[in-house]
Amino acid sequence: MMNLLAALENSSFSVWLRGSPSLFAYPAVLTFHTLGLGVLVGTCMVLDLRILGFASAVPLATFAKSFRVMWLGFWVNALSGALLFAADATTKGTTTVFFAKLGLIVVGVATIPMIRRAIFRNGAGAVTPGARRLAVVSLIVWVAAIAAGRLMAYV
Amino acid sequence: MSDQIVVWLKATALSKMVIGYTWVWPLCETLHFVGLALLLGAAGFFDLRLMGLLRRVSVAAAMQMRVWAAVGVLINLVTGTLFFVGAPDQYITNPSWWAKVACLLVATINVAVFETRYGKELLTLDPDADTPAAYKLAGAVSLMSWLGVLVFGRMLPFIGNAF
Repeated sequence: MMNLLAALENSSFSVWLRGSPSLFAYPAVLTFHTLGLGVLVGTCMVLDLRILGFASAVPLATFAKSFRVMWLGFWVNALSGALLFAADATTKGTTTVFFAKLGLIVVGVATIPMIRRAIFRNGAGAVTPGARRLAVVSLIVWVAAIAAGRLMAYV
Repeated sequence: MSDQIVVWLKATALSKMVIGYTWVWPLCETLHFVGLALLLGAAGFFDLRLMGLLRRVSVAAAMQMRVWAAVGVLINLVTGTLFFVGAPDQYITNPSWWAKVACLLVATINVAVFETRYGKELLTLDPDADTPAAYKLAGAVSLMSWLGVLVFGRMLPFIGNAF
């Protein structure tokens, strides 16, 4: 496993990504990762808050298309995250907090289709007790995932 | 001038607290990123409506979402100020920080001008209605300036040498 991580980290792409002085190398990938976070978590949080009763004048049906935006943010971050991992595989691949972050993201992403099913079960969109519970889980998990990401950078 | 500000800030108890405890910085970073997501999600929602998208939402309803953009801004102003007080030297000479502040200023002026000129008229716009060109411009300027804040914030360690 360690050999695999080392091979990934020493690939010419990884060497280029972390070594290039260009702002369009590592810094750009990191910027896309932050932008994707804003789009994914921002959209999830706005829907969660609406489900929990805030901005109640906004029709739930508005959010029917918001799931596409969430998935867009997710794929931007899955891709940019994979690149960031490759550049630093032996460190990230052996850090507990990295796996905690991945686990939290799995739960966060899993809530997306669950919330969609919960509010659009009857077509038009309605808040159910189940949707409220999922919204709370989603909010907590995304904040925790962000915390794990920041801990990777600063601890 | 900037040297004196740095020396003075670094001597404050607040600055010593931000740097002195290892958990303060990561905690503030976490809150700063949560604020970022809230701001981008909620302001983006309102900005898109101003730009004439999401038309099934009335502008008045989209306004309700703006409170959460304000919460995001507030979280990030507080945590951002703490970063600045904790390590002023890594920002005050950093071109990326000045670019970030400039984008923040554009976003603020944009909101202030838009609010003053169209604040009342805004609420009377019918649901499903398209928005006038001035609204579209204000929405686009807002979205672009917040994205600028994000990009230059992320570039702080690379254009300058902030941690």
